[in-house]
Amino acid sequence: MSGKNYSSADDEALVNAARHGELEAFEELVFRHRDPIYARAFSMTRNEDDAVDLSQEAWIKGWQRLGQFQGESSFTTWMTRIVINLCLDHLRRQKRHRTDSIEELDDEGGGVERQMPVVTVNPTAGLERAELRKKIDEALDQLSAEHRTVLVLHEFEDLEYKEIAKTVGCSMGTVMSRLFYARRKMAGLLAEMRKES
Amino acid sequence: MNQEQQLKLQAFLDGELPEREAREILAWTQRDGEAASLLAELKGTRQAMAKAELRLSVPTTREFFWSKIEREIQRLEPQATIAPDVSFSAALRRFLLPASALAALVIAGLVVHFHATPVAPVDTAGNDTPAVETTLASADATTYRDTSAGTTLVWFSDDTPAKAVKPTAIN
Repeated sequence: MSGKNYSSADDEALVNAARHGELEAFEELVFRHRDPIYARAFSMTRNEDDAVDLSQEAWIKGWQRLGQFQGESSFTTWMTRIVINLCLDHLRRQKRHRTDSIEELDDEGGGVERQMPVVTVNPTAGLERAELRKKIDEALDQLSAEHRTVLVLHEFEDLEYKEIAKTVGCSMGTVMSRLFYARRKMAGLLAEMRKES
Repeated sequence: MNQEQQLKLQAFLDGELPEREAREILAWTQRDGEAASLLAELKGTRQAMAKAELRLSVPTTREFFWSKIEREIQRLEPQATIAPDVSFSAALRRFLLPASALAALVIAGLVVHFHATPVAPVDTAGNDTPAVETTLASADATTYRDTSAGTTLVWFSDDTPAKAVKPTAIN
């Protein structure tokens, strides 16, 4: 494939060319899909610099593992799995290096959210899509990394409990309780935001 | 409502329960107001989040973002990404030069070793073990020396197998 055709080639053709060592084909893939891969890294780490670094690292790993890409899922989905795993490793390293606060330990237990009163009025009713996205993003920022990860994997990546447990490396019970507390906290945060505005 | 019931309610919402259990939970939410309210809240959050992820773009230029990736790929796999700019004869020369130097060193080492090594070890311990020696200078001569008996035998052999051994005793 000549370099001039890269921009008009489909992902499959670009992947095949990249497998044969054509770096320009891979550059085109990076150009096409770098935003969603970066967005996933950011949604998990909540840090712009870390998200850039981790998404770049994911692309390097992607290049090295191109031979393993079977085409069973889309190329973006495959790359997203790579960046998710890198983000999980990054979060684990961060957790090892920090002293968990009492608040975080409470969060892990989820006791507070379990006792929260049910939000009966839909806090997102009538919001424009862009406004809703912004509010959800703000609320995600306030969740612990553990709860946010499970929520992101379930709601944005559409993974089932079993798949999340395998990806995160915990039991299905832990996934279920983290997801429950994350959702409840999210509902509470969105309700608070609505009151404030 | 206990934790197990709360999690079952959520699993029902996410379609993670087997059919029979899902029917039971549905019936429960229809007769229990608290369960129905919690289910509605969980459902509302899930619906709000569906397709509500913030659209983000990499906060650097395409060139800057790619340059780090490219550098790292080339560092990790230089052979795969950079075409080798050497011909076969150049590669052969590059291999032959050190190989011939090494061979010359080995040969020189062997020559020095054989010239420097004493031909016959001296039996200073005075033990009874006879010594058998072959000198490089006359490879067809083999010496048998028994110090306890005060006897030395030297074999001269030529290339003809039939006349291989001509023992001579020297006292």
